[in-house]
Amino acid sequence: MITGVGIINPIGLTKGQFWDSLSMGRSGIRTISSFDASALPTRIAGEITGFSGKDYVDKKERKSIKIMSRSIQLAVAAAQLALDDSGIDKSQLDPARFGVEFGAGLIASELEELGPASQISANCRPGVVDLQQWGSQGLAHMPPLWMLKYLPNMLACHVSILHNAQGPNNTITENDVASLLALGEAYRILGRNLADFFLVGGADSKINPLSLVRHSLFMPLSHRNESPEKACRPFDRGRDGIVPGEGGGVFALEELEHARRRNAHIYAEVVGFGAAFDRKCDGTGLARAIRVALREAGIAPRDIDHVNAQGFSAVASDVWEARGLQEVFGDCNPPVPVFAAKSYFGNLGAGSGTSELAASVLAMEHGQVPRTLNYEDPDPRCPLAVITGQAQPVRRDHLLKISFTEMGQCAAVVLRKWQ
Amino acid sequence: MRRRVVITGMGVIAPLGNSVDELYNAHIEGRNGVDFIRLFDARRFPTQFAAQVKNFDLGQYVKEPERWADSGANSRFAAAAAQQALADADLLDNHKVDRTRCGVYLGSGEGIQDFNNLVSLIAQTYQASERKVNAAAFAREGLRRFHSGREFEQEAHTTPGHLAAYFDLEGPNYNCLTACAASSQAIGEATEMIRHGDADIMLSGGAHSMIHPFGMTGFNLLTALSTRNAEPGKASRPFDLNRDGFVLGEGSGMVVLEELEHAKNRRAPIYGEISGFGTTADAFRVTDSHPDGRGAVACIQQALDDSGLAPSDIGYINAHGTSTQVNDKAESVAIKKVFGSQAYAIPVSSSKSMMGHLIAAAGAVELIISLKALNRGVLPPTINYEVPDPECDLDYIPNVAREQRATHALSNSFGFGGQNVSLIVSRFRG
Repeated sequence: MITGVGIINPIGLTKGQFWDSLSMGRSGIRTISSFDASALPTRIAGEITGFSGKDYVDKKERKSIKIMSRSIQLAVAAAQLALDDSGIDKSQLDPARFGVEFGAGLIASELEELGPASQISANCRPGVVDLQQWGSQGLAHMPPLWMLKYLPNMLACHVSILHNAQGPNNTITENDVASLLALGEAYRILGRNLADFFLVGGADSKINPLSLVRHSLFMPLSHRNESPEKACRPFDRGRDGIVPGEGGGVFALEELEHARRRNAHIYAEVVGFGAAFDRKCDGTGLARAIRVALREAGIAPRDIDHVNAQGFSAVASDVWEARGLQEVFGDCNPPVPVFAAKSYFGNLGAGSGTSELAASVLAMEHGQVPRTLNYEDPDPRCPLAVITGQAQPVRRDHLLKISFTEMGQCAAVVLRKWQ
Repeated sequence: MRRRVVITGMGVIAPLGNSVDELYNAHIEGRNGVDFIRLFDARRFPTQFAAQVKNFDLGQYVKEPERWADSGANSRFAAAAAQQALADADLLDNHKVDRTRCGVYLGSGEGIQDFNNLVSLIAQTYQASERKVNAAAFAREGLRRFHSGREFEQEAHTTPGHLAAYFDLEGPNYNCLTACAASSQAIGEATEMIRHGDADIMLSGGAHSMIHPFGMTGFNLLTALSTRNAEPGKASRPFDLNRDGFVLGEGSGMVVLEELEHAKNRRAPIYGEISGFGTTADAFRVTDSHPDGRGAVACIQQALDDSGLAPSDIGYINAHGTSTQVNDKAESVAIKKVFGSQAYAIPVSSSKSMMGHLIAAAGAVELIISLKALNRGVLPPTINYEVPDPECDLDYIPNVAREQRATHALSNSFGFGGQNVSLIVSRFRG
């Protein structure tokens, strides 16, 4: 059972703001402001402004902020919000049955921390570093706990330490599909009766010089710098690539009886999960993951209210995503509506799956599914019923969320509205 | 009854062996795999030695090594270990097996950053007076200097992705990275996936190398590594009074996990069974494990409960045994808490005394050594054990292997941040 939602997102630092932006069609994609991005081919992003991790931790824990990179801070904050939203009194929780599971990405080094050590060890010759200088002099100029800021498992570890969660604890590092795999695994662990309560989700930030240089080199990013709000356009014929973003999305996931005993508000129930590898990147593996999740949920494709898509806004992957969806939903009449949350805030990497799913969880709560932004000229190679124009009322009890990577790792989760 | 999960294939690339038999035999002989670092110039680092993989050529294992041309050592080791494990289990090009029911769950490390380009570029663009890097200059040059393929291959999902694509494993595909517990956690969760019916076969394990400038820097800054530069071969000395930190290793361990009936039906070799899995968090500190072994105790107990075995059934413990002051003491305390007075009767050893710490890959390789020990009836020693520590007073199989029959082994893995995983592996009995 999902009993809490915590969101730190370019379109809102609370669940309320997040929903307001979704229902008003307000994009969070802007020109990058946190550093000078002028030399990058992509100068726009779903960037969070006005966020500070220390606002989300107790005073006595604030010194630990120093060893939290931005991804960790986003995770800690979203986890705190999810916990608050669940209304749980931590003293009611058995620490041994309180789990934490996150999807996390590669965390880029903060360049400044390496500045003095680098200058001691390298002069102006590109690609040449004097390792003897680095080893003998450079290290002294780096913070002792340097590495701990960048270990991907530190998202889940800090959350477990801050909340005394001594139960199962895992970190999935599987790029864009990571947080959905984490959710699926936490759901399985609850099913094995090894926990009562989980904080599960993902957080990631690529809005820094090193990550954006790296991603510019190997990822098809959008270059639509002159119109940021129009840049992320999943399934639209004019899409030209992925828009990077940052954020965290965390759920409180709780066993039913545990939630009932404390009269918790239940948003939705996880009823199906599937994962697969799409070896040829042609949608077959994606369709397989979806079928597994639907079968576990005991429902047919037509029972799905809407699909919360991956919708990268990339030229190639949107096509094979559509093909996978067609394979499962092609016979549905009327067609199953599709919503692509990235159109609002870009690609949150390892944090994307659960952040995007949060939009659908709130949609079930409010009775309407937001429209997908920038869907203006349907791409005939993506024959999907993308929700456009205006929000659409919720008509059915189940929704499907899918995530995948460009290499072919796929996951699908089915939620049921709680009655 | 729940689905039973057996091991039908194993493969390793490790400092003391590039095959399971070579590795196990080296460990039984008590050989030392630690020496001065040759991968880069570490002569002025606080720690100048490590346990490196030797004579490794990916082309000996796969037909298309160029697929991994831009990959880091982690992915290359993974490919070679996976090839061994899948060949062992008769799963290479075996189309009688439904490939959509075969998944991958690794606990593999990240790729290796382009140290020379990154550091020289920061040196060039860092403005010391303002303590800022000129981001525009960094980006402009970075786009020219960094290699797109090598940058992509640092992403952690590429390691399991390549294995799935190359070896045709179309089921669920995961990578977890819980520091030094990762590959054990992967094997545990992969076992659960088979038990639950999410797959019939899972290729699982891990791969990692942190023997590179940033890796050494990070661990040296944490003062976690031994600095016994005068005698590297004596540096990894788990449970010895004079231990002063761990020694970095590198490599990969892979197992093929398979549902028992599935394995029987296709007459696959059955080497052993995963009978118990436990995982907990210390929720204590990011740097230190809990001094009373709080999370470790709960974790070992959970693995025992999962297996349905009594503490007295455990005949061998392959310890996490890092050779740091804190771990070895806390782990000994935890073993005594769970096993009580019987703890003194159970032989415990640390494979890290010989091959160092393979970080994310450690647990998988150590599980394989444990299973070989059960099947051969010879338990590997803890080498460099010279001066007993009064606070570590268990039977650590000092220095010399021991012929001793055991049916069930416990393998522990604990990681930075308070990650604990215990696996119980058993000799196979139909």
